[in-house]
Amino acid sequence: MNTKLYLLFFTLVAVFSSCEKQLEQVPESSLATDNFYTNNNDFLQAVNGAYSQLSAYPSQALWLGEMRSDNINATSDGNRDWDGVNNFTPNITTVGFISTAWKSNFNGIYNVNNVLAALETKGGVIGNEATVTRYTAECRFLRGFYYFQLLRLFGEVPILSTVKSAQELNSIPRSPVADVYAFIEADLTYAAANLPASFSGTDVGRATSSAAKGILGLVYLTKSGPDYGVKGPGLNSNEYAKAAALFDQIITGSPFSFGASYSSIFSYTNENNSEVVFDVQFASSLNGAGFPSHLAPVAFWTSQGISNTYGNGYGASTFPVTKSLVTSYTASTGGGTDVRYPFNVATSYTVSPFIKKYIDLTKKGTTGKDWPINFIVLRYTDVLMMKAECILHGAGGTQADADAIVNRVRARAGIGAIANVTLETLMAERQREFLGEGLRWNDLVREGFALTQMNAWRLADGITKINPVVADYVIYPVPAAELQTTPGLYTQNPGYN
Amino acid sequence: MKITGNSGEHSRASTLPKSFLVLGLMGILSVSSVQASTGIKPKKNNLKSEFQHAVTIKGNVTDEKNLPLPGASVRVKNSKQVVSTDKNGDFQLVSPEDQPVLIFTYLGYKTKEVSYTGQPLSVRLEPDQSALDEVVVVGYGTQKKSDVLGAVASFNAKNVEEKPITRVEQALIGQMAGVQVKQQTGMVGAALSIQVRGAGSITAGNEPLYVLDGFPLDVASQSAAGGISGSPLDNLNPNDIESVQVLKDAAAGAIYGSRAANGVVIITTKRGVAGKSRISFNANSGVSEVSRKLDVLSAEEWVAQATELANASWVASGTGRTASQTNAERAAILSLPAGTINTTYMTDPRWAQEGHPGLDYVDWQDAVYRKALYQNYEMSATGGSENVHYFISGNYLNQNGTLIKSNYKNYGLRANIEANASKKLKFGINLAPSYSINNAPPAEGKDNQLMKIAQMVPVVESSVGLNTGAYGNSTYTWSSPRLISPYAFLETAINSVKTSRLLTSVYADYQIVTGLSLKSTVNYDNADRNTSQYTSDQATVGAAESLFTNPGLLSTGAYIVTKKQNFLNENTLNYTKTIARDHKISAIAGVSYNIVHTEGVRLETAGGFANDIIKTLSNAIANPAGVTTTGTSTASNNTLFSYYSRLQYAFKDRYLLSGTIRRDASSKFGSENRWGTFPSVSAGWKVSEESFLKDVKVISDLKLRASWGKSGNNNIGDYNAIATLVNSNYVFGGNTPTTATGQVVSGLANKALKWETSGTYDLGLDLSLFANRINFTFDAYHKKNSDLLLNLPVLSASGFSTSLQNIGAVVNKGLEFSLNTVNVKTADFQWSMNANIAFNKNTVTDLGPTHADIEIASAYSGSNAPYLLREGLPAFSYYITKTNGILTATDIADPAVAKLANQTVGDAKYLDANGDGKITAADRVIGGQPTPKYTWGWTNTFKYKDFDLGVQVYGQHGGSILSYFGRAIDFSGSTTANVLGVWRDHWTAANPDANAPRGKLGATYTYPNVTSDWIYSTDFLRIQNITLGYNLKKLFKTPAIASARIYVSLENYFSHDKYKGGANPEAQNTNVSGDTSYGISGDYGSMPLSKTASIGINFGF
Repeated sequence: MNTKLYLLFFTLVAVFSSCEKQLEQVPESSLATDNFYTNNNDFLQAVNGAYSQLSAYPSQALWLGEMRSDNINATSDGNRDWDGVNNFTPNITTVGFISTAWKSNFNGIYNVNNVLAALETKGGVIGNEATVTRYTAECRFLRGFYYFQLLRLFGEVPILSTVKSAQELNSIPRSPVADVYAFIEADLTYAAANLPASFSGTDVGRATSSAAKGILGLVYLTKSGPDYGVKGPGLNSNEYAKAAALFDQIITGSPFSFGASYSSIFSYTNENNSEVVFDVQFASSLNGAGFPSHLAPVAFWTSQGISNTYGNGYGASTFPVTKSLVTSYTASTGGGTDVRYPFNVATSYTVSPFIKKYIDLTKKGTTGKDWPINFIVLRYTDVLMMKAECILHGAGGTQADADAIVNRVRARAGIGAIANVTLETLMAERQREFLGEGLRWNDLVREGFALTQMNAWRLADGITKINPVVADYVIYPVPAAELQTTPGLYTQNPGYN
Repeated sequence: MKITGNSGEHSRASTLPKSFLVLGLMGILSVSSVQASTGIKPKKNNLKSEFQHAVTIKGNVTDEKNLPLPGASVRVKNSKQVVSTDKNGDFQLVSPEDQPVLIFTYLGYKTKEVSYTGQPLSVRLEPDQSALDEVVVVGYGTQKKSDVLGAVASFNAKNVEEKPITRVEQALIGQMAGVQVKQQTGMVGAALSIQVRGAGSITAGNEPLYVLDGFPLDVASQSAAGGISGSPLDNLNPNDIESVQVLKDAAAGAIYGSRAANGVVIITTKRGVAGKSRISFNANSGVSEVSRKLDVLSAEEWVAQATELANASWVASGTGRTASQTNAERAAILSLPAGTINTTYMTDPRWAQEGHPGLDYVDWQDAVYRKALYQNYEMSATGGSENVHYFISGNYLNQNGTLIKSNYKNYGLRANIEANASKKLKFGINLAPSYSINNAPPAEGKDNQLMKIAQMVPVVESSVGLNTGAYGNSTYTWSSPRLISPYAFLETAINSVKTSRLLTSVYADYQIVTGLSLKSTVNYDNADRNTSQYTSDQATVGAAESLFTNPGLLSTGAYIVTKKQNFLNENTLNYTKTIARDHKISAIAGVSYNIVHTEGVRLETAGGFANDIIKTLSNAIANPAGVTTTGTSTASNNTLFSYYSRLQYAFKDRYLLSGTIRRDASSKFGSENRWGTFPSVSAGWKVSEESFLKDVKVISDLKLRASWGKSGNNNIGDYNAIATLVNSNYVFGGNTPTTATGQVVSGLANKALKWETSGTYDLGLDLSLFANRINFTFDAYHKKNSDLLLNLPVLSASGFSTSLQNIGAVVNKGLEFSLNTVNVKTADFQWSMNANIAFNKNTVTDLGPTHADIEIASAYSGSNAPYLLREGLPAFSYYITKTNGILTATDIADPAVAKLANQTVGDAKYLDANGDGKITAADRVIGGQPTPKYTWGWTNTFKYKDFDLGVQVYGQHGGSILSYFGRAIDFSGSTTANVLGVWRDHWTAANPDANAPRGKLGATYTYPNVTSDWIYSTDFLRIQNITLGYNLKKLFKTPAIASARIYVSLENYFSHDKYKGGANPEAQNTNVSGDTSYGISGDYGSMPLSKTASIGINFGF
């Protein structure tokens, strides 16, 4: 009897000691970080992952940029998230677009910091120093880009050069704007120096040194803008010369050129043409784009016999281009007809002439979030016109140089030349040229027009539901959730509640 | 077995009530003769034959184990002749008739009537489970109910057999104090949610652990939307159930420590008993319909409202515009081409014409609801020899849903076989294969069909009727083009879930020495679920155009396969010993290993179908990118390794002590915190065994209990402690894009994750009076869940917005009362009753070091978060703007009255809670709690001669529902959508009623995100079941038929609730927060519960 018992006992011990090992489960359907970064391919995938948050950029550009600016006077069918963004109300601290913008850029930074740390500690497995440098430069470009986006939207933000735990973050406050700029400049300078001049084949779309230079130039230009008395992106730093120098390198260097036809710049079949310095890449079924559908009213899709899943989910809301802008397209043409107007705006949709720039019904993907079209972040014309902006701020060059740039743009648009371009006329030209590209609000802020132009437009268009624009609204509020999570760590931007 | 009453030689038949007892709640209970034990002195009947035709009857009475039953009373029906059986169970009596009916009674056993036919009688009595000495199944063993020290609620399966129910959970509704069964949906085949003693966890689930015949199946997991898919109780045949016990406190549940924090539901299926084979057959069939409809405007009411709105809008839109202008005149004024309709300003002239020619007025609810038949057949056989016992059953259920096209079929078999290989070795196997088909077209939830039936304009063109907007028809002009016929959608959509399940347990029980035995079990539960989904472009918005050129192009389809395997091996040593007569010891020790493996495949169309005929993916076509179908497969594992032991000690059967300890290791946690230890101790004092009470005959049992214990919860994802990567792809390549596979970290891993634990104190009292005629149980508890597995908000600078942490605590405090009584017991009439009530108070007591409120916004209602987690309040309290009447002209003129922009006379007035003169997010106030404050159930059973009648009532009070569905269909009117019936009684200029439930039509201001208008009380009272049965036994003279009963039943026929914003106050079908970190199950359009009238028969052979 006892022998039997012992036998049983030992069998059980044997069985269950093997069970102990069974407690160490590793995921079967996803990778664990512990067994990642073992070869070049792992690192490549991690770098690709760091790019993925770029997909959130077009939404920020449209809902927080175009929507905020005098390009759109939206009409709401009720109580929509973007109402307060469009109308300049102070209680937008919980608006999804704003909190998502904060989150997705910080998530992008987190992904970058993870890769950078791994490159430092395990980068040796790649076995090629140049590749390590390229990956590092791509990551730092992305971090600089994400931070610049945060800075323009929110002003002061915490600086994170490495991954920090949630507990550690509880004692990291928002840094002064100047420090954030310094951090961004360091990243973009490194990227400009270490990224390849171009990529080909299946790498087209990665950040190049020109992309880094162009964004860095925009950083200097933005930083040189007025401060409005708020802790926003303008620091009056007068770095126009630095910006101009960087823009010159792009203007004179290959492979960029001034696009011959306006519409072909945005063609579904002409992506990454010579105008494109940097864009966010999309492809149907793989990484489809939602932005072409964003600003088109739902009724437009149903009127085309297309499923309302192609719409933006905002019911009967409409997003018409403003009366002032329509006038601007049709009035100051100097004799010609502005080809950009019918291309950018659904002029025949009279109820609500919305921005249709990216809509090609023959190219629609499987849903409204599956368009195979890239979103251009920086293009050659933009660089040229920013060069003109630098010139007008006294950073070398002549009035004739500035006029030439603007008239080159006007000529392509099919309208007559103008002389003695001023910052005002330059910005007005930019508004027509870059409609739907998410630049207008930043342009207004950068050149000190955010309050004057917006308020003048409200009066001119007879808009009452949009509140007077005051200096505090140059930047957005810190999302309420961030303030609640660690009370007292961040203070809210003035003017918001 | 304790015997407190016994009939001696005198006639003390319980035919006349002898004492009365007044109970406040129930009124007068008639209590029949209660006798103190006089000792058992079987005597031969001395009576001489007094009657001419007297016969002497001999016989023998045995118990369920075929052992002699001494002291049983044998009475001749309609006579005063009574005898008791002797120590061998034998009896002999003289009957006045030659073929009398004899009535056998014995306390704790069911009364049996037998016709005497001349042969010596051999009568076996079956235990009456309602008696106190029933044996209850507790973790890893059984206990006499009188010895149980934890809070255990039991449920007798007898109640199942007699009712037409299709799921085990249904049987538990309203039956047990503190066990709340929630009917979240009226869809057939859907699992119900069970909550034991309130919700203790905030984000890690509140469903109990289910243990079937000793096999801990799994914790049912409720999705954020509220549905339970893959419930451990799916496919189980309720008729196979012998008993259900719910272990409510930690002392009872701690032996299942790891996953017992939300209670443990122990289900025992029927076993075979030795003896002649008994076959039983049950059949029932019935018809169901929806128990209630949502109150929306009828077609006539809507037409009147839309006319009023359109004319008012028209008049207000410019000078010179009058209500009497025709559409043509209005079009001319608007410079619209002739014949153009502007639905905001124009009405359909046919509305005003007699009989609305060309238009059909429809009730969309009637269009999609139906009377539905169901039928259920069940057959079982039980029996066995001394060495082999078996229970075998088969069932077939075919239940149509009250929603068109919905249907549930279940085919189940069960074989429970036990064999004694030798005197010391016993083997057993339980085998239960089943197969079910659940056709549940997608109907519930946001923007789904049951929401559409409320929103749809109740007017359609006669030419298309119910198919408005579908099959290429256009929608009615005065109807949103985005709402097409829900009827057509339900007719064409497919969502068919086929589940094959095999539940197996094999065990061996070996007696090593007397009192010590080893039991080893191997359990395996395999569930394979295949889901076919299809939506047709014939009923898809915006598909009309392509229907002519490419039918099928905009149809979508998917095929989903999931497999779940649950393997468990348990080995327990069981030891019992009585030392020196007074010391009883029983101990168990065990070890178990459990692995759950799940895997799934999902395939779906990428480019639609080639046509509308073939609906499988073989017919899928490529999208513009050349992709035909997309698909993925996943797999995951979790393991649990446990040691446990329990020691029970009883001194003189009077003082009881019990202690358990369990240690569990779960693979879901990091290696440092993998092990959790869950102890419990409990003590009981059987006061009634004490000498000072022993002679108080009124009290048959009195026990005081106290217990404390801890149990755990690991109901989180399988790999939350491990930092994992997910694909986050990008594309490169410009015009020729290529996927750039990207990997990013999926979330903040927390290596320190550990068990969420609940510590429960429980004080209880069990009291039985008058020979167990009245059984009363009381429990008071304090349950604190701490180290909550909580998705705590973190700074987004960390890369993520929440992180799963062990932080915070929730306390549930409560009182539970339950009362079982036999109010009247006479030969012909019996009335018994079960009443229970449970009070629970839920309080969040700790939300981490910052103690900061957590506000949970909804993706569906803008920015002002309507849900609040705050220390001191119930979890997920509603945090809303309060509607405070209607703005009067005086209010409008008064700048001190806070108003929203554009508000005018007749609009809703909102409470300016902080008095700053503005209505903002800061004016939100606490507007209710989701959980009820108390729940109750009351069941009455009457038996009169061959009739029996059962009436079951239950209800809940003190909770409320924030209805997003109510919100969606509750607005100030539209010429293209229908609204809630509450708008019938709105404020009008002609009748400016400041107390009207709603303000004026066509309001033009923007309302605050969530207001108190959408909070409805969830109080309800439901007559869950009324069953009237009749014993047919008499009709069958043949002895082959041992029992026969026919019954009619009304299920959920009468109910009352206050929920006007939806069809079911317990509805859960949508994650209304839209946030996976804080899923909040709410109502966004639900299937009403069904009411069913049925008829059934039971036969025993």
